[in-house]
This record gives sequence, C-alpha cells and structure tokens, in this order.
Amino acid sequence: MAEAAAGNPEEGVLSRLEKLEARARALALKQEEAEQQQRQEVARLRARIRQLRRRRDELKGKVSLQQAALGRREEATSSGAEPVPTARVQERALLQWKVETVEAMLRVFYLTGISGKLTERGVCFCLSTAYDGNYLDSYYLDIVITQPVRIHRHSVPIFIPLKRIAAKYLQTDVRCFLATLSAHLNAYVGRKYQADYLQKHFSAFLGGHWQKNSLYNMLAFNYDVTTESSTFPFRVKLLYGDLDRSLPTEASVSCKEDVPASLLEKAATHSSLFMNMALHKAFDTFRKAAETPDNTEGTVPHWAGQETFLTAGMGHLRFSKSQATWMREIGTSEHQAPGLCHGQLYLAPEH
Amino acid sequence: MDVTVAEFIRRTVLKVPRSHIPALLQAWGFLPAARLQALDVRPLKEAIAEAVVQLCQENSASIKEAAVLDIVYNHTFQNKRVWTVYQMTKATGGETDIFDFTAFKRKFKRRIQSSLINVTINFKEFEDNAIWIRIAWGTSYTKPNQYKATYVVYHSQTPYAFISKSINRSNLPLLCQALIVASNYGDIREMELRSHCLDSLKDIVFKRYSQTFQTHHPKPLQERNVAPENVDPRLIQEDKSEKERIQRVNQEVFGDGPQPKLEFAQYKLETMFKSSPKMVNVSERESFRCLVKFSSPHLLEALKSLAPAGMADAPLSPLLTCIPHKARNYFKIKERKGVLAAGLVSP
Repeated sequence: MAEAAAGNPEEGVLSRLEKLEARARALALKQEEAEQQQRQEVARLRARIRQLRRRRDELKGKVSLQQAALGRREEATSSGAEPVPTARVQERALLQWKVETVEAMLRVFYLTGISGKLTERGVCFCLSTAYDGNYLDSYYLDIVITQPVRIHRHSVPIFIPLKRIAAKYLQTDVRCFLATLSAHLNAYVGRKYQADYLQKHFSAFLGGHWQKNSLYNMLAFNYDVTTESSTFPFRVKLLYGDLDRSLPTEASVSCKEDVPASLLEKAATHSSLFMNMALHKAFDTFRKAAETPDNTEGTVPHWAGQETFLTAGMGHLRFSKSQATWMREIGTSEHQAPGLCHGQLYLAPEH
Repeated sequence: MDVTVAEFIRRTVLKVPRSHIPALLQAWGFLPAARLQALDVRPLKEAIAEAVVQLCQENSASIKEAAVLDIVYNHTFQNKRVWTVYQMTKATGGETDIFDFTAFKRKFKRRIQSSLINVTINFKEFEDNAIWIRIAWGTSYTKPNQYKATYVVYHSQTPYAFISKSINRSNLPLLCQALIVASNYGDIREMELRSHCLDSLKDIVFKRYSQTFQTHHPKPLQERNVAPENVDPRLIQEDKSEKERIQRVNQEVFGDGPQPKLEFAQYKLETMFKSSPKMVNVSERESFRCLVKFSSPHLLEALKSLAPAGMADAPLSPLLTCIPHKARNYFKIKERKGVLAAGLVSP
C-alpha cells in the first residue's frame, strides 16, 4: 500500500493538484456566473423601480388633474366636463340658472326704482331715483312687519312728507305707499336737478335774487332777455303745487312795465314754456333762439312731448305698471321669471 | 358811520385768524372786490382791522352790514358755539306749505318786535338752503347788546331749528314763539341733543348720517387706503373668525361712513340698587342715583373703534349706539315699570 502510494507519488500529487485546480476553476466560473446573474437582476430591478416610479408619478398627476377638474366643476357647477351627467349635476346647473335669473331680476328691480330685501323683522326697501336719464340718489326704508306696520329706520329727507304718506297708505296698501313715496322722491330730485343744472350751466343768463326752499317747490330768480337794442331783466316765479311732479303748476314771468309790447308777449310765451318743459331745457330753447334770431322763441322742440312721460314716469319704469306688461316690454318672457308672475313685489329671502 | 358799529366791526375782524380774513371779507360781500384785493393782510391784525373799519366808513356801513359780517363769522367758525336742537310739531298733519323766505322774515320780525322794541334781527341765506338768523337782544330801556347775540339756523320746510347756547335764556320763549309763527308750526320743544358741530347735528336729525341698510344690489365700492399687512406666513391668526364677526357687527351698527361728531353723551341713572339678598343693610327702596358722562373729541368714532380695539364686546350696548338714531345725547335711565331691568325712558 505504501509502495503503491509511494510508487505513484507523482501521479497521485499531480493529478490531485489538477483536480483541485479544475475544481477551483469551476468554482470561480460558477462564482462569476452568479455574480453576473446578480448584477443582471439588480439592473432589472432598478429598471423596474424606475418604471414604477414613472407610473406612480403619472398616476399622481392624473389624480391631481382630476381633483382640480372636480373642484372647478363644484365651483362652476357645470356638467360639461362630465361625460355622463349625473342627476346631481343637472340639479345644480338648474339651481345655478335660477340664481342667475333671480339676480338679473333683482337688478331689473333696482333699475325700476323700487327694490327690497327681506330682513329678520321685515323688509328693507331701496328707492332709487332718476331724472332725465341720470341715476340720482337712493333712499332706504327699513320696515318692520308687525301689527301695525312701522318704519324702523329710513334715510328719506326730512322735508319729504313721509309721515303723511305713511299715515295714508302704509297700513292698508304698501304698494301704493311705495309708489307715492317714490313719486315724491323722484319729483324732488328732479326739481333739484333742474335748479342745480340751471345755476351751473346757465349762469350767464341769470341775474341774482335766487329764492328757493328745501323741497324745491318754489323757485324765483331773475334772468336777462336780450333784444337787438338792450337787455331786460325778467323775474320768474315757479310754484310746484304737485309734490310728486317735477313740472310747475304755476309759472309767472314778470318784467318792468315800461318794456315794449313784444317783450310782454315774450314773457307770456316764456311762462307757458316753463309750465310744460324742464327748466334747463326751456333755457336751452332760449339760448338757441338767441343764437338764431330767425326762430320764434315759442317753438317747442321735438323732445317736449317726451318730457311729460319722462317726468311723470320718473324717467324710468313706473312701479304701478303691471309686472307682466313691462316684462314684455323689456323683452323678458313671463315664464323666465316664475317668481314674478303673480306678485308685484319680489322679495328674495335673505341669504 | 356809528361809533359802536365801527367798534363792533373792528372787534369781529380781530377775532378772525389772519389767514381767514380775506375769505371771510369776500363771503361778507359788502366791501367792493377791488378794495379787498388791495387790502394788505401782512401787518399786525390791529392794523388790518383798522383798515377794514376805514373801508367800511367809506362805504357807510350800518349795523345791518355789521350783523351780516358777524353771521358770516359765526357761520365760518360755527364749531365755537354749542348748538341745541329744537323740534317743532304741527297740531294737524297739514299740507306742506310753499316756503317763502320773505314772508318768513316778515313774520319772524313782527312777532319779536311786537314784544320787544330794542332788538336787532338779521337774516342770511347760505348755499345749502340754511337760513341764519342773528338776534341781538336789548331790554325795554337798553339798546341791543351786539356782543351777546343769539344765532338760529333753520332749514326751510324742516321741523328742526338749531339755536346757539346763549346767556339770554329769558328771551328764549319769545324766540321759540317767533320761530313757530314764522314757519307755520304749532309747538316747539328742546331736544336732548347738543354739540359743537352744527353739521353733525344736521346730519343726525335730517337722517343723513351713515346707516347700514340691507340690499341685494351691491353698493359701488369705495376706495379704501388700507396698507397691505405685512404678514409673516408663519403667523396664524387664532381669532380670525372672531375679528371678522366684530368687524361685521360693528359695520351693521355704525355703517361704513364717518360718524356725526358729538363731544359727549350723558346718562342719568335713576334705578334701584340691586344686590344679593344677604346685603340687607342697603335699603331696597332707595333709588341709586348716578350720572355717567362719556366725553371725547369725537364720541361716536370713539365708540365705533372700541370693539375692534378689543376694549369692549361687540355689539356695544344699544344705549350707546342708539344716539344718532334716537337723535339725543342726554338720557335718563329709569326702572322699567314692573320689570327689574333698566330701560330707556323717552320723555
């Protein structure tokens, strides 16, 4: 045995070494292969991570986009973006449309001169005034609906006979009360507007000695009438007997007695002109006549006919007119304003 | 020209601050404009006054012109006087009459002069339809005292008159009577409303002060000079909603605009002293007398800023906020009949 071992020592050692070498090589190869595989696996996984991240970001973006769209839709309540309009969205759109219609109606009411808002205890009315196409001041009335109805607060000028109008109509006919008060207020601002306009724009014509009062229902002043030869002072006194009208009920033009007869005639023409025409428009006519002496001074300009409507109708739509009539006039069909068909006053509840 | 008139004009001019003298003389409208232009306002006031008196002498001014100058002075410096509001009432709800200034003047003068000969009465109408009346009172034996005149401000067709506080209280009934006769009213009474600021009193009784009314249509936006707050983003306003509530409540009570200017509000308490039943010593029947007076250069603005400044709860007591609405700044607080709570008792 020993000999066999010793007799073949070289072969034994070398072959062993060879075997060992081969085993080591195989092992190294295997190891390398495993490493390679691992690297590949890591790369694959890395790629997957990248891919997943991308996907996540995509989804995140999508979600935020959708949320934003949803938010917008909630704000605008529009059903357009939704592919399948649900009942809720439709309802919301309808509501939105209704709100818009009501708001538009409220604007229309404001333009008519009388609008109101329900308060906890009653109604707050706003009476806005206009004259000659100009919107002027607004006045307010806070009315408490109890028995009896009473005015809690207001901003109506003190010289407007509010107490008297209230005593007459407030308990029985609120509509009549508001219409009367509105007519008074409009007539007052109209008279004031005429006087102010005259003083501002026709001061060259006017002499001194202005006399007026708070309610502007009496106005007296001097003005100059020029003829070819000289200038004569005329004095006019206007009395506005109807407090709900902005045209005088009495106009007297006086001049000195020693003036020519033609001027006396002129004075008469003037007084009739003052009766039928707004003050500043009458003076406009005088001025035009003075510029073109061929024209006779009494010519009534084409807009004089409208004047009656403008002043009597307060320059805008009158409240007493039935709702349906002026709905048609302003081009709104009746069914578009369901709240307005029967009631004369539309009072939207407080939000 | 009368010596007393000259002296009166001299003293009136001396009262006016130098910078206001040219404007005041122009508003007076008595002296010719050309002479006024030439008037030198640089020297001492005594010298200016002397020059004005000289000019008046040349134009032979009478007491009437001097009185008008005094009215113009008082109109310009109306806040120097304390004004009391008087309310007039009609016995029957008669028609609104057409106010005639000439007739008003005639009736007023006649009523006063029928009782007292020695008076100087002068009128002047101003741009805003205000009629100023100046009455210098005398007695049956003495001439009118021009230096202690009473001033009345009246707006035609309104039931209110504003009378300056004066020493001559004995003549007040006569003045009131003349007022109601001239303006076609039946009765007159003093309101519990007084202030230095005449315009604010007018705003209160003529309902021109800022009030909040609920409406559907938005009011035109007002420019507001609010500096953008430099807010640190790390700061969180804990009481934001509370602050907004106070803001809202305050706005409802006082409105947006500036408040009328009043200097004081007085509350006279005539209520029972209330205590726990253990304190038997205090007599229950004894009323608890107390006078509370709020004063400030601008009382209503001060009250308005109390809640936002965190010094009072919002809303404030209606006793404080009802001043412009009730048009009074003197109150008497009495025990409500049968109820223990203190209530406001109108006269």
